[in-house]
Amino acid sequence: MLQEVLQSLPQVLVDGLTLGAVYAVVALGYTMVYGILQLINFAHGEVFMSGAFIGTAFFILIMGMGWAAEIPQFILLIIVLVLTASITGLVGVGLERVAYRPLRNAPRLIPLITAIGISFILQDVVRFIAELFNGNYIVTGPSLFSEQITLKASSISSIFFDARIKTSFLIVLGVAIVLMVALDYFVNKTKWGTAMRAVALDRETASLMSINVNKVISITFFIGSALGGATGVLFAVQYGTIDPYIGFILGLKAFIAAVLGGIGNIRGAMLGGMLLGLMEMFASANLSLLTGGVFGAEYKDVFAFAILILVLIFKPEGLLGKPTAEKV
Amino acid sequence: MTILEVNSLTKQFGGLTANKDITMTVEEGKITAVIGPNGAGKTTFFNMITGVYQPTSGDIKLDGKSIVGLKPDEVAKKGISRTFQNIRLFGEMSVIENVLVGMHTHLKTNLLGILLNLPFTKKEEASAEKEAYRLLEYFELDHLLNEKANNLSYGAQRKLEIARALATKPKLLLLDEPAAGMNPKETRELTEVIKRMGQEFNVTVILIEHDMKLVMEISEHIVVLDHGEKIAEGNPEEIRTNPKVIEAYLGSAAVH
Amino acid sequence: MKAKLASYFSNKWLQVILFSLFIIVTSAALYFSQKSVVSFLLLLSSLLILHYMSLKNVTKWITALGLLFILIPFASSGGPAFQSYMEVATMVGIYISMALGLNIVVGMAGLLDLGFVAFFAVGAYSYSIFATKQASNFMPFGNFPLGGESFWGFLIIGGIMAAIAGVLIGVPVLRVKGDYLAIVTLGFGEIIRIIFNNADRPINITNGAMGIASVTPPEIFGITLSFPNQFYFVTLFILMFTIFAVLRLEHSKLGRSWKAVRENEIAAQAMGIPLVKTKLLAFALGASFSGIMGVVFAAKQAFIDPTSFTLMESFTILVMVVLGGMGSVPGVILGAAVITILNLQVLTELTNWLNQLSLSGALSIPDALSPAKMQKFIFGALLVVFALYRPKGLIPAKNKIFDVKKLKDHRPDHLNNDTEKDSVPIDKVQV
Repeated sequence: MLQEVLQSLPQVLVDGLTLGAVYAVVALGYTMVYGILQLINFAHGEVFMSGAFIGTAFFILIMGMGWAAEIPQFILLIIVLVLTASITGLVGVGLERVAYRPLRNAPRLIPLITAIGISFILQDVVRFIAELFNGNYIVTGPSLFSEQITLKASSISSIFFDARIKTSFLIVLGVAIVLMVALDYFVNKTKWGTAMRAVALDRETASLMSINVNKVISITFFIGSALGGATGVLFAVQYGTIDPYIGFILGLKAFIAAVLGGIGNIRGAMLGGMLLGLMEMFASANLSLLTGGVFGAEYKDVFAFAILILVLIFKPEGLLGKPTAEKV
Repeated sequence: MTILEVNSLTKQFGGLTANKDITMTVEEGKITAVIGPNGAGKTTFFNMITGVYQPTSGDIKLDGKSIVGLKPDEVAKKGISRTFQNIRLFGEMSVIENVLVGMHTHLKTNLLGILLNLPFTKKEEASAEKEAYRLLEYFELDHLLNEKANNLSYGAQRKLEIARALATKPKLLLLDEPAAGMNPKETRELTEVIKRMGQEFNVTVILIEHDMKLVMEISEHIVVLDHGEKIAEGNPEEIRTNPKVIEAYLGSAAVH
Repeated sequence: MKAKLASYFSNKWLQVILFSLFIIVTSAALYFSQKSVVSFLLLLSSLLILHYMSLKNVTKWITALGLLFILIPFASSGGPAFQSYMEVATMVGIYISMALGLNIVVGMAGLLDLGFVAFFAVGAYSYSIFATKQASNFMPFGNFPLGGESFWGFLIIGGIMAAIAGVLIGVPVLRVKGDYLAIVTLGFGEIIRIIFNNADRPINITNGAMGIASVTPPEIFGITLSFPNQFYFVTLFILMFTIFAVLRLEHSKLGRSWKAVRENEIAAQAMGIPLVKTKLLAFALGASFSGIMGVVFAAKQAFIDPTSFTLMESFTILVMVVLGGMGSVPGVILGAAVITILNLQVLTELTNWLNQLSLSGALSIPDALSPAKMQKFIFGALLVVFALYRPKGLIPAKNKIFDVKKLKDHRPDHLNNDTEKDSVPIDKVQV
């Protein structure tokens, strides 16, 4: 049995890292907003999904123009990423203005409810637009970076099987890492990043230090949503087919990743995302094997939630978070 | 007779020591005040007694039995009730319902009694309501009984917190800055109420307060904390003239 | 003029006359027409009008019961659409009961539960498994399917099973901080669905995605219940029980402790209210109402599969509670009725109507925009608009109004001498 687990390990690692990178960047959006507003931005998964659709639309649009075929795929990807991230960033800012800002002093239940509402609205608006233009809400984008590479893991040791990867795997992982490093630099080294951390620590004191709290919150939403949208594009490139409902469960798992890493902690979100992606892929590859066929891969979602519950019970502050006590 | 005994109580938050080695006793029926500059660790001290925080080390005994390790609701059942520095009323509930919540532990009815509206439940509820109303009358809040707690004035909210705490029929009542935010007239009335209620409700009062006039007027015993440590203890006269206390408050400005 | 009119309308007798006229007209219209959704809905809305009339509570209740048990079934029995009306009314009853259960959790105790449909599923599966051959796959003894009389016992078993599920979910979940609760319950809702969807291996308990078919219909006094109009009465009886239970709970020691926990956990604890136990009780009771209706649902459909218990169902019930008014019993009843009717009648009717319009070429609506598909958008918009502009819902929750006269009368003995004490000069007793 161990042998079988080891054989599939290279493929599990490759798939797990890809999925983990997606979780990690989406988790950043949750963790940043939670860090600043102590609010679970339920609609963030939908921002990610909108990004996937907007990106795919751009790809189809640009590649439909004859001359664009000359553009190298990589340049095309960067153009689409930037365009999509700006749009979803603005969507995020608008969302905060309309649905969260008026409720900043309301009971905590209420913004959660608007978040769910916004989530539904985004899902349905995207479905409507996709269905209107495409006839079906399940959309398949153009195939990009689809060359197959074989990772010769068997040459390292005969225990392993070879892993097959698409070029897009490298792209997803590479772009995700660039985004995370850039964000880490932004938060820790720039003026606005410092302001952001200040607001997260104590909103009132920060405002007394002449920090424009509303602006900081808007920037946070912009960055979080831009990252989410960009990841959506990566997701579309990697997995090809998208529908308006991909955001909900993926968003939830990204949130779980954020909690796993320590909510409010940016590096924690990255770590949590990667870990969750790897664990989930491992589970879906081996769960059936390890339990003698009692539980199959269809339990992998159960697995993710089980992790969440275990973390919340035994280490609610997450892997990299600090425990907090409520002030009485 | 000693009702509360605190033995070298210490609380650390990470590297910060909020309370260090505090030892004190509270005599039944006497009004005790805990004073000290801001950040001296007074509220932390209350939080440990009421089970909100667990002490890092040390012991707390109520009537000779340790209450360390109990959850706040268990401490409440043992007979310690409190008010909060930043008012914590049940804002959307009415004034009288707030007091009724205070009676929670004394209502014996169960799920079956409630669902079937058994005579026992009915009777108990009716008498609880009357008792709650009586408490409101005592604090002159009776005309506001059906108001939402949120809609009350600041002073009325403070009084309602005390009424709610008394509804649990405590042996020991901890008041955390009961006069904060009150105008002089309200403070005077409150002083009178605190003086009287100890005897009338058979409860021992410990209070944290910054209003020195109030403290000196009603306390029989005063404990002074500074930087988490007890620096002095005694009757008002002794505290007034204690050089350590005067130093802690940076001169005698606060002490009349 | 306006004031005069208002004063007329506040006259009790005028109200009664107008109300009776309204009922007579709508029920006659319903009885004599072949199919008139409008008059059916108007007749149902008479219950809402009744809520706002200035009559004694007892009178209102008797009138409501008369309408529900006699007039509505009778008036809708006139045309061929009888069973479809009864079907809708039964579903309304099932959803109201569930929404009232969720209202205990969300509205009263302030715990956002996004996996509430799981309990409905638990109830539905507990009956379905034993009322079909399914149970013989894993039960070493007993003769399955059980007979239709077992349905009545399963109403209680389903409720208890759901309550147990509530406690099992609650024990780990309720220790975590409030914000995470929504996510964790949502996860649990999905987990339970996934388990039901896959529990056909290694032992076939739920028959997996295929669902369980031919669930034995309930039987009473030798009569087999299989038509919607029969289930209507079953649902109505249970619903009445639920409403009375919820109203009792609301203003009891328990209801107050839930609200106290919702308003301020720390203060509630300081008043001697144990947090976890109180929340668990809310979870378990709310779940049991849902579980009972799950049993009814399974028996009524005679077929269940995991697709009836998706996340969307949980959200639908939440929308009912938010729309009606969190914590408000009449509000939640209204909210559940409005959303169920919107889902089952209005959206489908509108879609049919628009389809006819586009067929006749009068108007062309893209298929993507057909109202039946817009459910999510409508729910989303309702949630946002209500949370922003009317967070207390259609009928906001009210605190019980206490009558000063009743409170002032005979005082309990042990407090009798307090007034005299006030005047006694106080010397502190020193012990």
